[in-house]
Amino acid sequence: MSDWNREDPLDRNPPGGRASPLRRAIGLGSSGSGAHHWWLQRVTAVALVPLSIWLVASLIAHARDGQQDLLAWLGRPAVAVTMAALWVILFWHMKLGLRVIVEDYVHADRMKFAILIVVDLVSLALMAIGVFTNLYLALH
Amino acid sequence: MLIRSSKQVSRWRRPRRFPVPPASGTSPASRIEQGKTWPEPQGATRVRHLRIFRYDPESGNNPRVDTFAIDRDKCGPMLLDALIKIKNEIDPTFAFRRSCREGICGSCAMNIDGTNWLACIRALDEMNEPATVYPLNNMDVVKDLVGDQAHLFAQLHSIKPWLRTRTPAPANSERLQSPEERAKLDGDYECILCFCCTSGCPSHWWNGDRFLGPAVLLQAHRWLVDSRDEATDERLDELEDPFKLYRCHTILNCTRTCPKGLNPGKKIAEIKLMIQQRRS
Amino acid sequence: MPSSRPRPRSPDVRIYKPQLTSVLSIAHRATGVLLSAGSVLLVAWLVAVADGSNAYAALDGFLRSWIGIILLVGWTFSLFYHLCNGIRHLSWDMDFGFELASIYLSGWLVVSASVVLTLATWIIGMAAGR
Repeated sequence: MSDWNREDPLDRNPPGGRASPLRRAIGLGSSGSGAHHWWLQRVTAVALVPLSIWLVASLIAHARDGQQDLLAWLGRPAVAVTMAALWVILFWHMKLGLRVIVEDYVHADRMKFAILIVVDLVSLALMAIGVFTNLYLALH
Repeated sequence: MLIRSSKQVSRWRRPRRFPVPPASGTSPASRIEQGKTWPEPQGATRVRHLRIFRYDPESGNNPRVDTFAIDRDKCGPMLLDALIKIKNEIDPTFAFRRSCREGICGSCAMNIDGTNWLACIRALDEMNEPATVYPLNNMDVVKDLVGDQAHLFAQLHSIKPWLRTRTPAPANSERLQSPEERAKLDGDYECILCFCCTSGCPSHWWNGDRFLGPAVLLQAHRWLVDSRDEATDERLDELEDPFKLYRCHTILNCTRTCPKGLNPGKKIAEIKLMIQQRRS
Repeated sequence: MPSSRPRPRSPDVRIYKPQLTSVLSIAHRATGVLLSAGSVLLVAWLVAVADGSNAYAALDGFLRSWIGIILLVGWTFSLFYHLCNGIRHLSWDMDFGFELASIYLSGWLVVSASVVLTLATWIIGMAAGR
């Protein structure tokens, strides 16, 4: 499947070239990274186990609340802090996960870099919006 | 169904393939066409049908799927027996690799009824009717069931699968191992490099140019745990890469399909743990 | 002769049999993408609550419509599936549960647990809400 639509000027070993198989297998060599990404994905996953259970339980408990009740609940410091932590960890985890998906399926390098930038910025923006909204509600 | 051994053939027959368009993402030269149906054997009571991928590089045509009919009473019990019978008696141009016919050389690995296995140890009785036979997945096809493995062996070459030492060899003896140290190679050294796992790994389908794949990573593990090897540091440095190693997403098609009952998925997890160990 | 013709690539996803291993893996990825989309909605909901304008009423009305309920059930299932299968992945990362029998047993456990947890959540949610 991967032989199609892979031509890219940044590809040093284009299909049909005469480079040796070993040169192709070595590619650009090892980047010496990847472990940090792998570790952070695990750390955020562990944190999301209690946080996501807390989120579902809270949403059930407040399923029938009106807007005023929700505002009172979200204004409590413990709720604000927990939910702000949820946003940071959730969107961090999402950023790491979506990055892997993009790297898996997008092979044209410049397109891939562009999408990765968008993924990172959107994740950080969502994280910021969530955290600041919680702070706003807690301090108002 | 609970799988206790990779030797079990799943009874779950449907769906037989993922719901993707038959020609999705393939180059025009890779599209598979309707092939030829070869004549039924005369006077046979037990007939087995095999739908086999064919590609003739000299014809200039696209690959196709031919249907062969085999008289089970005049054929040995294994798929390899049927393939040899086809080559001997029906179509002498049919090409496939085989050597030992007892599951130790790894030559006759192919995609059988949708999963990768060795033709010599897959009984015809365990196969679908009609059975489907394709070459190992995601390889440039040289002819019929023969795929070009140059890239896979180059990937193996790239991890330097040989003893790397700094201490000179002892003058009057070999480099010795205790029985416990030797036992660490169990589950690694049995690999016959048939590449059933690598060619069945979706991560290797999408990023086979950079991801080393389960078979090669299993070999990398084999040299990491060898007590005589003195290049563990360099080996881990060379593996730590988002693509070479971490493209493994623990899908575990490798462990599911290994015809030798090995566990490449587990060994790759152990490499990741080794890298984590030295970081913290 | 045809030496210039590129070799065909042997088929992979087009012919490879779906097995519990690969199906649960792609489901983990799919639920991850759905949850990413859902988390955008979650932040939108928080902002709507804080905003105090008509936005909240509109979003709340949408989420209580049939389409909204279907989306929420899908979100709940995705969350529980991704959570349970994520725990399965964490155990593999600790080199635990790699025997083929364990892989299949834990796989079916994850599927059943996510269905049961989704049902339980909605039964409790409906009961508490009325």
